[in-house]
Amino acid sequence: MGEVIVITSGKGGVGKTTTTANIGIGLAQAGKKVVVIDTDLGLRNLDVVMGLENRIVYNLVDVIEGNCRMKQALIRDKRYPELCLLPSAQTKDKTSVSPEQMKKLVDELKDEFDYILLDCPAGIEQGFQNAVAGAEHAIIVTTPEVSAIRDADRIIGLLETSGIKKNDLVINRIRIDMVRRGDMMSVDDVTEILAVNLLGVIPDDEQVVVATNQGEAIIGSDSMAGHAYENICKRLMGEKVPVPDFKQADGIVGRLIHLLKKN
Amino acid sequence: MSVPSVQIAKERLHTLLGADRIECTPDITEQLSSDIYHTLAKYMDLNSRKIEVQITRSEILIRYTGEKN
Repeated sequence: MGEVIVITSGKGGVGKTTTTANIGIGLAQAGKKVVVIDTDLGLRNLDVVMGLENRIVYNLVDVIEGNCRMKQALIRDKRYPELCLLPSAQTKDKTSVSPEQMKKLVDELKDEFDYILLDCPAGIEQGFQNAVAGAEHAIIVTTPEVSAIRDADRIIGLLETSGIKKNDLVINRIRIDMVRRGDMMSVDDVTEILAVNLLGVIPDDEQVVVATNQGEAIIGSDSMAGHAYENICKRLMGEKVPVPDFKQADGIVGRLIHLLKKN
Repeated sequence: MSVPSVQIAKERLHTLLGADRIECTPDITEQLSSDIYHTLAKYMDLNSRKIEVQITRSEILIRYTGEKN
């Protein structure tokens, strides 16, 4: 039976879609059968981030309304044979699907795939309810900013009441230089406030923008963000990989220790 | 030297999440704490600097005796 994971955040623009795409690709590269589902009805993005926008024929709403079979709507990524995308509908809105229908759709995919990743829309309305309906595990993405952390806290509260058994946190766009000079919250600051299991930390990396421009994955490339996503995938598959130390290094001694640890 | 902005962010978040979690704005929380203090002070000898009020919101269930399930 496949594991159903929803990637959510509350606030928009913190990196849910990028995280969904790269975790999906990473797990597929590890030989797992993966389907990534874009649940943002009316504002589809996951196809674009993955560079599959020109291959869409049918979408999620078509499957639910019975306009096509599941197989016809799933787009197989030629670069990663184990990876499929179920795109969202661009011309429908969030009320065209109910949580029950989403749950049924996800359950149908559980037999065939090892991982079902749901890219959740921003907000806490029906789009969120739909995305969460069939999931048993949630990955909450946040950035070290007051507004994003506040929304993440709200979302964690909502997830706890909606039957999700496992919550994991991904902190995105950490800038170590800013953390060091006391102008950005550290990993410890964030986990102290949000008190959920830390799945991974993604450093702010301009290579993510480059990869997104090209519709390619950041995972698998020799970049800081790419390596961070690789570690997240390993942790999801049960491997014990320590989270690198992004703590504030104090003065020269701290930096020296940091440097020594790195090598 | 000025206060590192992280300190300010953490303090703001602390207040914000406190308010979000109990569904009560900081103004009302303060008023509520002050009311509680004044009520208690009517009956006990209290020092306003030593009292701390903690508010937790949880599901409240009231059941009357003799009520059927």
